[in-house]
Amino acid sequence: MKRVTVLALAAMAMAACGGSSGGSTASSSAAFKAAWVYVGAASDAGWTKAHDDARLYVQQQLGGQLVTTFKENVPEGPQASQVIDSLVADGNKIIFGTSFGFQDQMDAAAKKYPNVYFEQATGFKMETNLAEFFGAAEDADYLTGMAAGAASKSGKIGFVAPFPIPEVIREINAFALGAQATHPGATVQVIWTTTWFDPAKEKSAAESLISAGVDVLGQGQDSPATGEAAKAHGLKWSGYDSDQTSFAPDQWLTGTVYHWGPYELTRIKAAMNGSWKSGSYYGSLKDGFVDIAPYGKSVDASTQAAINAKKAALINGTFYEFTGPLNDQSGAVKVPAGTKLTLDQILTMDWFVKGVIGNPKGS
Amino acid sequence: MNPEVTAGAVPAVAMRSITKRFPGVLANDSVDFEAREGEVHALLGENGAGKSTLASILTGLYRPDAGDIEIYGRRVEFHSPRDAMAAGVSMVHQHFRLAASLTVADNIVLGHQAAPWLRASPRTIESQVTDLARRYRMPVNPTARIWQLSVGEQQRVEILKSLYRGARILILDEPTSLLTPQEADDLFETLRRMTAEGRTIVFVSHKLEELMAVSDRVTVLRGGRVVGTVETKSTTPPQLARMMVGREVVFAQSKEAHRMEGGEVVLELRGISADGDLGIKAVNDVSLAIKAGEIVGIAGVSGNGQRELAEAISGARRRSAGDVIVDGRSLRNGDPEDAIARGIAHVPEDRLGTGVSPSLSVADNLILKSHRRAPIATRGILRRQRIAANAKQLMSRFSVSAPGPDTPTRLLSGGNVQKVVLARELSSRPRAIVAANPTRGLDVGATESVRELLIKAAAGGVGILLISEDLDEVLALADRIAVIYEGRIAGVVPRDEADVQRIGLMMAGAPA
Amino acid sequence: MRIQRRLTTPRWLVVAVPVASLIAAFAAAAIVLLIAGKDPGATYARLFDRAFIAPGAITSTLITATPLLFTGLAAAAAFRMRLWNIGGEGQLYLGAVGASGAGLFLRDQPPAVIIAGMVGGGLAAGAAWSSIPGVLKAYFKTNEIITSLMLNYVAGLLLTYLIFDSRSFWRELGTFSARAFPQGKQLPDAATWPTFDLGVAVIPFGFLLGLIAALGLWLFYRSTSFGFQARVLGDSPSAARYAGIKTRRVVVAMMALSGALAGVGGASEIGDFRHVLDPRGLQQAGFGYAGIVVAALARYNPFAVAVVAFLLGGLANAGYSLQGPDFPAGLVGVLQGMILFFALGGELLLRYRVSFRARLAAAPS
Repeated sequence: MKRVTVLALAAMAMAACGGSSGGSTASSSAAFKAAWVYVGAASDAGWTKAHDDARLYVQQQLGGQLVTTFKENVPEGPQASQVIDSLVADGNKIIFGTSFGFQDQMDAAAKKYPNVYFEQATGFKMETNLAEFFGAAEDADYLTGMAAGAASKSGKIGFVAPFPIPEVIREINAFALGAQATHPGATVQVIWTTTWFDPAKEKSAAESLISAGVDVLGQGQDSPATGEAAKAHGLKWSGYDSDQTSFAPDQWLTGTVYHWGPYELTRIKAAMNGSWKSGSYYGSLKDGFVDIAPYGKSVDASTQAAINAKKAALINGTFYEFTGPLNDQSGAVKVPAGTKLTLDQILTMDWFVKGVIGNPKGS
Repeated sequence: MNPEVTAGAVPAVAMRSITKRFPGVLANDSVDFEAREGEVHALLGENGAGKSTLASILTGLYRPDAGDIEIYGRRVEFHSPRDAMAAGVSMVHQHFRLAASLTVADNIVLGHQAAPWLRASPRTIESQVTDLARRYRMPVNPTARIWQLSVGEQQRVEILKSLYRGARILILDEPTSLLTPQEADDLFETLRRMTAEGRTIVFVSHKLEELMAVSDRVTVLRGGRVVGTVETKSTTPPQLARMMVGREVVFAQSKEAHRMEGGEVVLELRGISADGDLGIKAVNDVSLAIKAGEIVGIAGVSGNGQRELAEAISGARRRSAGDVIVDGRSLRNGDPEDAIARGIAHVPEDRLGTGVSPSLSVADNLILKSHRRAPIATRGILRRQRIAANAKQLMSRFSVSAPGPDTPTRLLSGGNVQKVVLARELSSRPRAIVAANPTRGLDVGATESVRELLIKAAAGGVGILLISEDLDEVLALADRIAVIYEGRIAGVVPRDEADVQRIGLMMAGAPA
Repeated sequence: MRIQRRLTTPRWLVVAVPVASLIAAFAAAAIVLLIAGKDPGATYARLFDRAFIAPGAITSTLITATPLLFTGLAAAAAFRMRLWNIGGEGQLYLGAVGASGAGLFLRDQPPAVIIAGMVGGGLAAGAAWSSIPGVLKAYFKTNEIITSLMLNYVAGLLLTYLIFDSRSFWRELGTFSARAFPQGKQLPDAATWPTFDLGVAVIPFGFLLGLIAALGLWLFYRSTSFGFQARVLGDSPSAARYAGIKTRRVVVAMMALSGALAGVGGASEIGDFRHVLDPRGLQQAGFGYAGIVVAALARYNPFAVAVVAFLLGGLANAGYSLQGPDFPAGLVGVLQGMILFFALGGELLLRYRVSFRARLAAAPS
């Protein structure tokens, strides 16, 4: 006891003298430093895990040339600024913000620290040292929807969704169109949880969809809680963010996944050799930024073949899911035959396609 | 009752050279105390003499700074009341420690139950309680809830609780202070049954008459020291009083009949009625007029609407009918602020919980009612120097003994708390005072000074409504005596014509 | 071992106990760190450095300390009179709603007017929100712990509704960015609260406001008739009624005061730091609940609330700097938790006496 007390006292004395040794990462002074700011826990099995997988991928690729660190559970707002300040003070040269809500703090930090590169996943603001990146998840969602449609017997599919916002609405639309491709007339019933990550709430939303009679579940949430509900009731399930096979291996179909790693690797390399330029990147199936997770055992070979064919078509540009004719929920023609929706149009999408049951304005 | 039987044997309780110091107070100074098996041993002393401290040490509530305790000759060290209970020592406190919403049986077994699977069924416990109650003549319904019981019944529950847990030595702290005379007599009968079985009773009191009636021996404490231990048979109340206060006490304190025939009416009750806490009519059409300089006593057995009457006048309780008229104008119903502003002082029955705010300082309690007004507050801001000056002045004028004006009031003795209440109420220059049981639980010295203060206030032209369950007090102080029974005034008699027999009958509800 | 309540607290203990409990906290946490394979010395050095010493550390610490100061005062104001307002969280949200509404509404006014309007808007909205449990308690005897807590959830849903689920006054509908992802309207630059650069640190206006509120709260309880009434009511409701105090009015007013303090905290979040009504960030931060801890550690003393808010702000701020791939957030939480635990434990020593029971206790002492 006594020795530890002395130790603690010594620590305080050191602190009082302003010593600031130590750190979270063993540092070799020459290595380039990169940091990630997470809104959730690195172990959330969803959104944040996908980002942490990317960090590990980058670290593995660059080995000793790069030192990475992350800060998790960072609340959006002024606390994010503190965290960024602290990361800059630690010598990080490139910082990845991984939640839309960090956008303002990332932008402010970019102005404050012109010699540091900032990369904001999901967002719109840009500076000479702030770039923005995200991916066309809707293409993968369409493929996931195909798996869900094929798995459904009744054609009634449930979808646990976070917020009635364009990003989520276009995911649901793409998912529904995919489902209708393999199961004509399929419906997708939506429940808004108004949270990105709340396993208990997500699970209870899934339960109420099940009691409403759906026989396959999809999700746009950051936790695999929907899968737990599906497993408990023996329903097929498609996930989101990362490969969640392990949570319900028998129920797993596939899911939209993000591979943030390759993009981030390129950007870090650019930052290291000084060729980094700001920009807005919208990744796709083609460059592997978005993809579908490995198929579960219950996706049969013919479905797999159909999905793979569509994937190839999406990659080579011969197919685009948001091509008319598209009808809205009332059945009215929203997009005339032959017209393709533009990126801006899908980024601000606020209507559901025919067959989606739910209110795109919420509740 | 038979001290000779056990004389010479090992004493049930032996406390030797007990010393206990509190900040600024030497509460017990090398106290020696012995109680024999099967006796009622009274512990007599004024408030602050050290009785309660000694009792608390004996029950493990406090640990002595020095000294030993032996129970039946065996040296013990109590760290908690639980330890004391294990040695057979239990205390019935002045303020009961019962859970109001639980039943009698629940309270008796509370904290004394075995693991759930070993618990006796409720019915078994109830029948055990009933047997115990019958054996000691303490009728109580084991399924009744505590809040439904009278004070006397609650005390029985406390005693039963101790007996149920096997207490052989019972300490009763001021047990009769809340009881009617009849209830007190019943209690004494119970105590005799207990001593006949060899149990030992330590009876803490400052009422001379009752301990003359009930005890075998008396130990007198004064200022934390033992003055002496005497056989009750061979002593007299004046001798005990002398030992207790260290001087001669004149008990014949009474108000000179203060005939102010032409005195104006300061407080008039016109047909007032009010409901009790349970919504049952507690005060029923009471009319009385109190003149300046007059003390009107309200005599009655506890629980006949006295508390509700006092509250209905002071505004703490809404009246269901009638008016309270002060100087010709009616008081707003249910508004204590109006009563205060119109000069109605109130000395409430529950002095520590209601009369003062217990955690606040003495100085703060002295401005409890004047905190809104100049000179204590100007424009809502308290004037701290004036509060301090007010405290200093009132504490010396009313000889409140406290370590200082900043002492939390709850740390004061009962007598001093009452002095704080009276100092505040009398210094507000009231037109009338409603005093409810102003001397209950106080020692001889404090009682004397409280009565003195009331008499002086009346002499100064204040009208006083003295509500007291102590008939002797009413007879000594009141110019007129009204008897309350079941919320009604059963009759009013001038003191000269007061006939104790007749008043007693009225109190008991017999037609006058 | 047994615990007895102290009748008085020796003066030396008041100083010795906090110091000793801090030392004990760091010593105990050092054991945990050693078990986890970390160097306690380096960890503590970094903790202190990033909380209070490094350039800009105090500025960062104040950013978290400011809302904690307000919610701590809000809890202390109510708890002091045994009014258990657990709703600081929701009252802070409402304060943010009120202040951002005022800031947007007054956008064309001079800065002083906008800022005054924001403080007033936050104060009024927080007070109105907390008056709901206040009125329910005073007139219907409902338990304020339950009602104020439940209203936190309602307030959180209201925030979400205003920005995500409706076309409200607070929601930005014009920009492309906001059409893609729902956002609140950005407040005008004139609505940004001033800061005071003292060299060692930049003090946000809100923190100064909080210090003034702390002084005000102290004076309120000590030197006003109304504060006196609150003290009496908190100590003994029957004495309060006896003294002619309008107890219902005091309960409602004190709940309103408590909510007003939390509401100004919400206003400061908008005016000092966020400049936009941000439902997610406010809910993630949980300042309202942390304020309860602040108040408890400060024993409801307003000045101590300021000190504790500052220390906790530093602890939270520095906690992020400890985190990393090999230093999980959970371990940081354990560290922070132990420090709080020991501080509260020390509190126990101040109020209670702990004695160890000797087996051979026969000897008189």
